[in-house]
Parts: sequence; C-alpha cells; structure tokens
Amino acid sequence: MKKHMLVLALIATMALTVSPLFANGASESGAQGPKIGFIGPMTGDYANYGTLCNNAVKLAVEEYNAKGGIAGKLPVTLISEDSEGTVEKGLSAIEKLSSSDKINALIGPVFTGVSFAVGQRVQSEGIPMITPSATHKDITNIGNYVFRTVVSDGLQGEVAGKYFYEVLGYRNIAILYAKNDYSQGLFEGVKENFEAEGGKVISEETFQVGDKDFKTQLTKIKAAKPEAIYIPDYTAEMAQILEQASELDLTIPFLSCDGFSNPQIYDLAGNFTKGVVYVGPAKAEENAEHEAFVKNYTAKFGTGPDSFATNSYDAAYIYFAAMERAYKKTGKFDRAAIRDEVAATKDFMGVNGKMNFESNGDLVAYQGIYQVTGNTADSVVYKGAYTVTDGKLVAVK
Amino acid sequence: MSVSEFFQHFMNGLTLGGIYALIALGYTMVYGILKFINFAHGDILMVGAYVGLFTYNALRGDASLGAWTVISFFIAMAVAMVACGGLGVVIERVAYRPLRHAARLAPLLSAIGVSFMLSNSAAWAFGTQSRKFDYPFDNTPINIKGVIITPHQIMILAVAAVMMVALALFVDKTRMGKAMRATSIDQDTAMLMGINVDRVISLTFAVGSALAATGGILIALDFKAYPSMGMMTGLKAFVAAVVGGIGNIQGAMLGGIILGLLETFGVAVLGIPTGMKDTIAFGVLILILLIKPEGILGHAEKEKV
Repeated sequence: MKKHMLVLALIATMALTVSPLFANGASESGAQGPKIGFIGPMTGDYANYGTLCNNAVKLAVEEYNAKGGIAGKLPVTLISEDSEGTVEKGLSAIEKLSSSDKINALIGPVFTGVSFAVGQRVQSEGIPMITPSATHKDITNIGNYVFRTVVSDGLQGEVAGKYFYEVLGYRNIAILYAKNDYSQGLFEGVKENFEAEGGKVISEETFQVGDKDFKTQLTKIKAAKPEAIYIPDYTAEMAQILEQASELDLTIPFLSCDGFSNPQIYDLAGNFTKGVVYVGPAKAEENAEHEAFVKNYTAKFGTGPDSFATNSYDAAYIYFAAMERAYKKTGKFDRAAIRDEVAATKDFMGVNGKMNFESNGDLVAYQGIYQVTGNTADSVVYKGAYTVTDGKLVAVK
Repeated sequence: MSVSEFFQHFMNGLTLGGIYALIALGYTMVYGILKFINFAHGDILMVGAYVGLFTYNALRGDASLGAWTVISFFIAMAVAMVACGGLGVVIERVAYRPLRHAARLAPLLSAIGVSFMLSNSAAWAFGTQSRKFDYPFDNTPINIKGVIITPHQIMILAVAAVMMVALALFVDKTRMGKAMRATSIDQDTAMLMGINVDRVISLTFAVGSALAATGGILIALDFKAYPSMGMMTGLKAFVAAVVGGIGNIQGAMLGGIILGLLETFGVAVLGIPTGMKDTIAFGVLILILLIKPEGILGHAEKEKV
C-alpha cells in the first residue's frame, strides 16, 4: 500500500514539474527570441580555449539583450555545451542542442576535429554554424551551412611556409606535430610551401595529443641539426615541448601557429617563450570597438580574450545582424533563412575590422606574424600582415 | 646515430625507467604480500602530486630559488608521503580488508572502483587542467660531452635507487620486514606465530602509498599535475613490475629501467612510429607472460600439496 502511494506521489510531482515547461513551449513559441548554441572544450587540458570563446559569446549576448535583443524586443538565448575537445562529446552536444534545445544557430565547435564531425551533422540538419577557430582548410567544404570567422589554415600554411623561407631565411627546419586534424593540416601546408620555395623539412616527428614526454622526438630533431623547429600544436603540448627542449639544451628558434596566441602558454612555460615567432590571424586595425571589447571582456572575466574569443564575439554579432534581417523579412527565425542572411553578410564591421565571407563560407582575411620577446602576453610584438597572391608572399599594408 | 645521440636517448630512457621503477616498487610490495594488484596505486600517486604541489606552493610563497625552496620541497614531499600513507591505510581498511576472504575478483573490482573515485574527485576538486609544479632548484641542464643531463633527471635516478635499497633493507633486515615476509608466505601460519597480520598489511599499504607519493611528485615536476596523470604511468609501472618479476623488489627496479629504455630505443633506433610507443610496453608484457610468466627475476611458485 505504502509503495503505491509513493509511486503516485512521484508521478504527481513529475507531472507538476514538467507540465509548465510544455505549456510555455506551446503558447509562446511564436514570440520567442532565437537560441544560439555554443560547443567548445570547457573542462580538461584544453578548457582554456573553449572558456575564452564561450565568455566572448556570453558577453555579446548580454550586451545585445541589454539593448532589447532582436527587433528591440526578442532576447537571444545562449545554450553552451562542453565538448572537452573530443569528437564523441561534441556529437552528443550537437544532438542535444539540435533536437532538445532546438537552437536556431551554432557557434563553434572550437576544435578542428570536432568541427568536422559536428559540421556534417549541422549540414544534414540544416543548422547554420560559425566556428571561431577551426582552421583546417577543408572545414568549409562540408557544405553551405558551415562558416567561420577564423582564417583557413590553407592560407596560414602558405604564409608561414613562405615567411620562414623568405623573410626569416631558414633553409632546413624540423616539424614536431600532433596526430590530429589541426596539427597535421598545418604541417602539410607549411611543408608544401616551405619546400616549394626551395627549403627542406629535414626532420618530421609526431606525437599523440595528451603525450607529456617529447624527449625522444626532440633528441632526434636535435641530431638532425635544423635551423628552427615548427610546432603547430596546442598550448598543453607546446609548453611541454618548449620546457623539454631547454632541458635538452636545444636552443634553436621555435616557430608556431595561431594556437600560440592563447595566453595560457605563459603560465605553463613562461620561462621558455622568449623568441618564439608565430603565425596567426592578422591583427585588426586598432579600432575603438576592439579596444572597448578587450576592456569590457577583461573587466568581466579577469583575463583578456585570445584571437579565437575575438572571433567568437564577431560570430555572435554576425548572427544577431542576420537574425535581425531574417526576422524583418519573415517574422520568424527559420534556420535556412538565417543561413542565407549570414551568407549575405557584407562589409560587416566587427572588432576584427571589416569582414566578408567568400562563397564557400571562408573569411576573406590575412595572416599576421607575431614575435614573443619576453615571458608574458604583453611582450608579443606584431610584425605585420601577409597574404599570398599568385604564389608570392605579399605584405599587406 | 652519433655516440652522443645514443647516450642522450639512453639517459632519457633511463630516467623514464627510473620513474616506472619507483612506482613499480609499490605494486610489487602489495602483490608480494597479498597476491593482489592495487589498481588504485596510480591514483594515490596523483593525490601525492597534488598534496605535494599545494604544500610546496604554500611553503614557498614568493621566495626565489635557493635553500628555502629546496627545504620546502622536501617538507612537501614528506607531507605528501604521510598523507598518501594514511590514504593507503584507509583505502585498505575500507575497500579491501572486508573483501580479503571473498572471491579473487572482488578486491580487484573494488580497487578499480577506488581508482575511479580518486581521479574523479580530484577532477571535481582541483579542475582538470594541468598544473605546473615549479622546480625547487635550478634545473639548468649539464652538458657532459654532448649528452645533456638535468639535475631533475639525476634526482629521479638517485631517489629511485635510494628507495629501492631502503626498501630491500627494510624487508630483509628488520623485524617488521621479517613479519612481512612471513605474512607473504602464509598468512594463517604467520598469525599462529603471533604476527599481527592486519598491522603488517596496513603497514605495507602505508609504505607502498608513500612511495607512490614520491613518484607522483617527481613526475609532476616533469609532466605537470593533472587528475588522470596516474592512469597510464600506473599501468606501465604495473607492466614493469610484472616484467621484472612481481613481488620482487630488485625485479621492479630492473623491469622499470628495461621498459623505459625499450620505449625510448624502440622509437629512436627501431624506427617504431611514436604513436606506437605504448604498444611496446604492452607488447613486452605479453612476450614475458608467454616466455617467462614469473618475470625476469621472479621465482616460479610451485603449488604446495
């Protein structure tokens, strides 16, 4: 008898707690604001990347809602999911976001490998996606729903390979990269372009993401006597590599990629960052919006944004503008209509400067060269922006 | 391969092996007495690294490298050893002792459960990101005819050697060690001879876990501290213990060094792809199990009638 009562009570409580949700969903669906989903690593060794990006989107949404939201009356909702940087977690995140949260648009995923998997899903579901950081050149080839506010590393590899040869004057370099889409993509791009110029990659070593011991690879690299080492990896591994290189008395210059722009590298390996040259998205022209963004972001979250966070912030505002236009035309937030409006973005003034998408969803942009001169993020010196035109390295004024 | 490159790989492998050996000692001790693999050993190591890290940072404050940082480091190490020793005793009391007479599989599963509880609690309490453990001394590498050795590497080898000798002396020469050996041979008879078997087993866990704490701190200096740090290293140390002959203290040391060298030279000389590094460890395990199941220094046990 008692048992039955308990079950009944349980069912009653469940019904009470669940039913208002259904009621809300049914009655207000016509007048609800759009939902933006976010996927990125927010715990684990790569949490630094995802957290900075998620914060940027959070900031953008709060600012926008403070002004009233879409059409001045419909606030935007942000739903963030943790991927831990793994494909499995990323796929279950998009599953939840698309079917249970019913998002209208997605920002992320942050990592290239995860973006490949999630990109396939959003393409078949018809959800617009803007990744702030997945740089692999084939990401936007997934389909017309995939965009990015980060520069394709097709260009990063081209500029890096040619810059190392022409401007830095290296002829023999070594490359130590991770066996994942991001690192391998950059390795291939740099090798192809560096060797096309006449240089030679005399030592290629690999590791698995999550490895901590790089001494075997570094000892082999040291024996090959390259002039410099290119490490297109993530901070957790790059910090370990820099420190162990110094323990092996390997003192040649290190070259890196946009992953180096995350300030966590200075916490993990501050004593060893001096002299590193890295290639990443060109710095925005100093503009008032960028300054205000960095100031507000730092005030709110305690640390400054990295380049991916800046891209996330722009992605959010590109969506706001697209949703605004779609809502004006159709009165709702249809996923396909939002996609079309994102694709139609023209001369968008973001904190990164003027932004346009190419027809495949890639950003029209340039690569910048950065040099670390000390052991803090403030010691980074900007050496200028470059692009490649007709196979030639061209400095952008 | 030049001579100096060869010796460089040799040094890298030797220190990696030293770390494996240090942890393998703990596995081997517990196995020798209880015939039971303590799978939570790797996670006790992780707890030791965190305790050491927090104690060291608190003691050190803003002091620059010098005598005080070295002193605080050794205090931190002692604190971590005591904390882990206590943790080991508690785990044995709560999760293993009630199962001592249960089926063989039960304590093993219990150990795996403890392992997950420890690493998940650490992830929850400390976050999952890597934390840097600053060297307490100047770790500028020393160049000996082209072979680069860091003070930290020397310390790993020294600590591993000292621990092994101390442990061997303890087991061979002291009364408590004698009690341990007696317990290891036959618990019931040992009890009849007036040995407090429960105390001997508690002590075994205390010593094994204290050793793990030392290993954890030495690893964290090199590879940083993070909640899953004990997982792979623990597994490899277990392999090292089996390869050397589980239950045998010198065997654990030998197994560790062999494994470290094999991993390094497998990649450097035999040209095995770096991604296959861990395959070497477990490949060796299978080989040893096939050829000499009792391990290199182990003695084949005859079933007594």
